[in-house]
Amino acid sequence: MKNLDFVEARHLISRTGFGAEWDEIKRLENMPRDRAIDFLMNRRDTTLPAVPDFSRWKKMSALNKDMRRRRMVMRIAKGEGVKLQNWWLKHMLETQSPFLERMTLFWHNYFPSSIKKTKLPSLLINQNRLLRKHALGNFSLMLHSVAKDPAMLLYLDGYKNTKDAVNENFARELLELFTLGRRYFSERDVQEAARAFTGWGIHPHSGQFFFDRKVHDTGVKTFMGKRGNFNGHQIINILLKHPRTAETVAEKLWSEFINSSRPHPSVVKHWAHILRSSNYNIAILMKAILKSPHFWHHQNRGNLVKSPVELAVGTLRSLPYTLPRDNLAHTLVNLGQGLFEPQTVKGWEGGNEWISTQFLMRRISLLTNLTRGNLNTVRRKSGIELKLPDVSEAELQNWLLAVKPVKPASAPIADGKQRFVRFLVLDPAYQVT
Amino acid sequence: MHLTGAAAVAGAFPDIAMAAAQAHRPRILVLVELKGGNDGFNTLIPYEDANYYKHRPKIGIRKQHLIPLQNGMGMNTALKSLKPFWDRGQMAWIQGVGYPQGVLSHFHSMDIWETAAMRGDSTTGWLARVLPRFKKGLHGIAISADQNALGPLAGSQLNSICMQSPRSFLSHARFIQEVPLNHQTAALAHVTKTQHQLVDVGKQIVESLQNPKGRVQQRLSKGGLGHGLKSVAEMIVSGLDAPVYKVTQDGFDTHVGQKGPQENALYQLGHGLASFAETMKQAGMWDKVLVMTYSEFGRRIVENKGMGTDHGTASAQLVMGGRVNRGIFGNHPNLGRLDQNDNVAHTTDFRQMYATVAQRWWGQPNPWKGHRILPFV
Repeated sequence: MKNLDFVEARHLISRTGFGAEWDEIKRLENMPRDRAIDFLMNRRDTTLPAVPDFSRWKKMSALNKDMRRRRMVMRIAKGEGVKLQNWWLKHMLETQSPFLERMTLFWHNYFPSSIKKTKLPSLLINQNRLLRKHALGNFSLMLHSVAKDPAMLLYLDGYKNTKDAVNENFARELLELFTLGRRYFSERDVQEAARAFTGWGIHPHSGQFFFDRKVHDTGVKTFMGKRGNFNGHQIINILLKHPRTAETVAEKLWSEFINSSRPHPSVVKHWAHILRSSNYNIAILMKAILKSPHFWHHQNRGNLVKSPVELAVGTLRSLPYTLPRDNLAHTLVNLGQGLFEPQTVKGWEGGNEWISTQFLMRRISLLTNLTRGNLNTVRRKSGIELKLPDVSEAELQNWLLAVKPVKPASAPIADGKQRFVRFLVLDPAYQVT
Repeated sequence: MHLTGAAAVAGAFPDIAMAAAQAHRPRILVLVELKGGNDGFNTLIPYEDANYYKHRPKIGIRKQHLIPLQNGMGMNTALKSLKPFWDRGQMAWIQGVGYPQGVLSHFHSMDIWETAAMRGDSTTGWLARVLPRFKKGLHGIAISADQNALGPLAGSQLNSICMQSPRSFLSHARFIQEVPLNHQTAALAHVTKTQHQLVDVGKQIVESLQNPKGRVQQRLSKGGLGHGLKSVAEMIVSGLDAPVYKVTQDGFDTHVGQKGPQENALYQLGHGLASFAETMKQAGMWDKVLVMTYSEFGRRIVENKGMGTDHGTASAQLVMGGRVNRGIFGNHPNLGRLDQNDNVAHTTDFRQMYATVAQRWWGQPNPWKGHRILPFV
């Protein structure tokens, strides 16, 4: 197996982390490909920033019961929501294991829950920890845990689901988005699955998962051609035995790591097989993906639009620019990727949807503001020191762009590296990875 | 209100002269978002329905305190600036508007209204199913301080812009450079194509604002809506080629002590729209403009203990414009039959409004087959 050259190391780092960090690329350059991938996979930085002070479940649920105080809940959720966003952003900017964080972000989009509906940052931060814990772990465990996660129970109305008033919201998304995908189940399957999850709720005092036997439907259910007195766990296990579940994971990983066109069915089947035969080990699948010819194919280099997080956090992690105003969380909302704020239950659509006239205008404004600053050495709050590498313009271009710049570089940009970097960052080619 | 330039030259009949000059202009839709869920029952009041007063003993509006329109329906007096437009036959109401299994969450229900995706699982606005069929280039402009207010204009198929004001847009647009299309990868092709569209849109806005075909010297209506409508009027009169504009009036989430806040918001709405309509008339554009309101939901017919109303289902929406057919469209909901949340059943689907705009206003096929059009225009 040949060793990674600079451009390959750059591809691996920028696709699996936030931005093309120079030191990271240099660390992997000349390393055998498999060893480099193992190195990225095994790095797990689990120290998280200090958790902000969030209002407790008990206080918020008491306020929420009183119609006249609901406004207070909204106000608190808004203020604490920004703190929550900043908490995660801080970690993204400072973490020593960007790949683990990229995977956490991927799962946040796979199992979205929004602050706008749940209104409880204290629960969302727990969900975020849960996703990070399983991000490169076991998908089966993660799915079971997410189904019992209080933020998810709020977001998809599971806590309202009782035998006398069945709420299908969670069951539907479980089948359509988290496992089988559209067209692989019937309305009847949704209704029967919802019955099996009745009684899964949140304990009124602790705010923890709570199974209320009294409102659980103990009748016989018919689900996906099987009959039995199923509970929620058994429904999830039936879904995990269905080949489509692993295929759905594979399809979403393709759009996250390869390109935004539909993957070939044979690739999906192959990846799904790897996931199922490893008993849903995510790390094993990710290793296979990163070693696959699709990941390295030349046509796929620069063939993904950077997500707003990749664009913003990636730039701040790789170049010594500073934001004039510290409102990155809000900027991400304006770019269509507010953390803990996916607009729909499907999560962010991603791919080409990151680029509309409006979003592109804001992306260019952000980069224009950033690149107004000087490229002197900066020391981030984390203690990390960032400076521009002392290399030629050709090397700078190979470092910052995945494809050739769109604008002609022939115009003299002779007066200094600072302007050349600015030229590269403002080129449309910088928008793709 | 005064006009300079072409209108002044046209002399005594500026409307007619301007109308001739504007004859080739494409038809414009101005969407007014009523944020918070406007209470339709205290906007368009069913004063001959005994159930209305039964459910609203305290906040129900009596017959002597409203503007009667027709068929036992009256308008809140806070909207009195709009009465002349009703009298002239340039205004209509659509009542009982909602959708099946109405969602009571603000953001979720607003997503449904703005995307017409009934499960709220899309971020692409409903206009994406209509505008790209017949219009290239600029599709629409939303005026808002909030950058995420594109709503019905959102999505990568639509060339739309959200701006606080034309001036603030110009300050961002300065940074956008023309780039050649580039096909190194499919992703980059999409980026460069969009940037090309953006440059185009920016140029159009700059040119029409710098060389306006007409000018607006409208006295400012107070509040966000007044400012927003003034910007819209400026862009329309300047000759900008956008088929859709969107503005917002907030303050409709009236859980407690509803009367004052709702009537204040309605006053802003009525006043803002009346002066906007006058400006459009003077510019000869009133026949080319259709104003339409929408709101995420209506409010519960049963008043709450706090002299307010909680989230409901069906509501009334208004349309205005030189070509609007006066009337009250759709059926008044049955206030005698309520669901378990004390909410009425809707009688008109909001997609009927969109279908009507697509078919009767823009002459396009109806993307919402099965939703009948309403002949309000």
